[in-house]
Amino acid sequence: MSAVHRKTLASLAAVAAAALAIGLIAGASWGWGFFGTGLGALLFHHVRHLSRLARWLTDPARGQVPEGTGSWDEVLTALHRFERAAARREKDLAEALARFRRAAQALPDGVVVLGAGNRIEWSNDKASAMLGLDLRADVGQPVGNLVRAPALAETLGAQGTQELVIQGELGARVMLRLIPYGRTQRLLLCRDVTQAERVETMRRDFVANVSHELRTPLTVLVGFLETVRELKLDPQRQRDYLGMMREQAARMQRIIDDLLALSVLESSPLPAAGRVRVRALLDRVLADGKALSGGGHVLSLEADPHVDIAGSEQELASAFGNLVSNAIRYTPPGGKVRLSWTDGPEGATFAVEDTGVGIAPEHIPRLTERFYRVDRGRSRESGGTGLGLAIVKHALARHEATLSIESAPGAGSRFAVRLPPQRTLPALVAERREG
Amino acid sequence: MANEHASKQYDLDLGAIRTRVLQMGGLVESQIRRAIDGLASGDLAALEQVIDDDHRVNAMEVALDGDTSHLIVRRQPAASDLRMIFAIAKTVTDLERIGDEAQKMARMAKAIHERGAAPLPPAVDVRHAAEAAIAMLRRSLDAFARLDCEAAQGVIRDDAGLDAEFRAILRQLITFMMEDPRTISTALEIVWIAKAIERIGDHAKNMAEYVIYIVRGTDVRHTRSPQPGA
Repeated sequence: MSAVHRKTLASLAAVAAAALAIGLIAGASWGWGFFGTGLGALLFHHVRHLSRLARWLTDPARGQVPEGTGSWDEVLTALHRFERAAARREKDLAEALARFRRAAQALPDGVVVLGAGNRIEWSNDKASAMLGLDLRADVGQPVGNLVRAPALAETLGAQGTQELVIQGELGARVMLRLIPYGRTQRLLLCRDVTQAERVETMRRDFVANVSHELRTPLTVLVGFLETVRELKLDPQRQRDYLGMMREQAARMQRIIDDLLALSVLESSPLPAAGRVRVRALLDRVLADGKALSGGGHVLSLEADPHVDIAGSEQELASAFGNLVSNAIRYTPPGGKVRLSWTDGPEGATFAVEDTGVGIAPEHIPRLTERFYRVDRGRSRESGGTGLGLAIVKHALARHEATLSIESAPGAGSRFAVRLPPQRTLPALVAERREG
Repeated sequence: MANEHASKQYDLDLGAIRTRVLQMGGLVESQIRRAIDGLASGDLAALEQVIDDDHRVNAMEVALDGDTSHLIVRRQPAASDLRMIFAIAKTVTDLERIGDEAQKMARMAKAIHERGAAPLPPAVDVRHAAEAAIAMLRRSLDAFARLDCEAAQGVIRDDAGLDAEFRAILRQLITFMMEDPRTISTALEIVWIAKAIERIGDHAKNMAEYVIYIVRGTDVRHTRSPQPGA
């Protein structure tokens, strides 16, 4: 027998006992009357509790289960306990879900949860940004309605794990991965691969360029070798051919030297900064330039003898030397090449000005790319490797220096290297007296 | 809308048709993008592919037309559903025309590159206008998917900007043609491409107007409001 039964029977028994006692003392009609009133009171008690319970059930406010007396006490206390446990479970679940969502938000990739019919159930902010979704409006929308790349439409129809790359928002390339889980659910992972694709393209272009640059002289070399081996040539012609072969071999060597120089600049740590005596360095650069020009150009140097640089002498020499040899190669004989070294409040500047062919504006931003050439034929004729300005750019970056290029076709060019003030040093006094 | 119908199958049919309209939009968008990429890169095979793929757009139009008329006959929709179906039918027509414009762009780009002509500087502005047109198309399709009136109104406003860009490109090309008559044939082909882009913007605007028609039941075509910049 349960507590409810016991309490109900006890209250009935109490009413019946009291009615019997009254009946014995005051007569049967009084007894019956009291019994009837007692039953009525019990009924009233039950109906009142029932109606309060019914009212609470229509709008079950948390933690406000009505309290009761008598047999109702048991029932309502049990309900109260049950309700409290449910509230705790609900809170735990909500917290677990919130933790899970925070974790999903923190993922480096975008995540979209798809339900039956590829409808969007949830997505993290990264996915929303990459795919142009708006979670407030788009829950329940088939994902294909908003991400309309034709490749995705085909993939959504297929089974199993799928991978594809589509055009996302704002020109980004987005890699999508569809992973089935559960019965009808799928996970759509997205990752921005714009940068990765660009790097891959650069790498491919670089390998293609290197191969092309090396193959050209090699083809010439092999051609001459065949000729010299197969044909009986008079000694003069043979000497000519061997000379040309030497030239091609030297060119290949220059390309490889430049590539090695670039890879050292890219990968090795910066050597300890020493004092670079710029005046002496520029004298050597000027002498090299005169040798390259062979007297064809008017070279001049104006250098402030009071400024030196803290840095790597070898790297600066190669950067400055490349700028000067470029100026000479792109200036027709008879032109002028002017070198200058000046100090100013914003740092020291080394500039090379020429009266050469000049550069059209669309080429200027790309000049420091490896193997980028304004005019392929011309550059090779003049012995360039296509790597000079890339070396300059890297060497300067290691000295916090910047390269600025001013040029117009036919009007000559000015390449200026600006070294920041923290790199400049006052030249030694003893040195100045000698100079 | 689900509550308005006794038949669940009906909603599924209508939803499937909308999804396919949007897929057609995605295909058309990729056609424009590939045509404009082909203009920049000179990849003749890719341009050829765009021209060939137009038949896929046309096939989708035919199939969708069949399905919408089928739906009308079988379900006899009324009120907002009828508006939706009208709008779908018209959107499909506009999308098919956009597909034609993309094909036209690919043809012109192919002609320019087959002749080996040097590209004229306005090619950059053409690319910019094309990106703007693609963005308009994207946003009007998004508005159609979400039935978002405000986004649709934004597309309608943006059309004026695209028209202005077209006129600027035209002025620039006229200058080139006057300076150097050798550029005339290339310039004319670029005019066709720019005109196609401008038309794509108009079609995107039409589609945005249908979205407003679905949601509000008012026809905002050929009215002065919403004013540009309003």
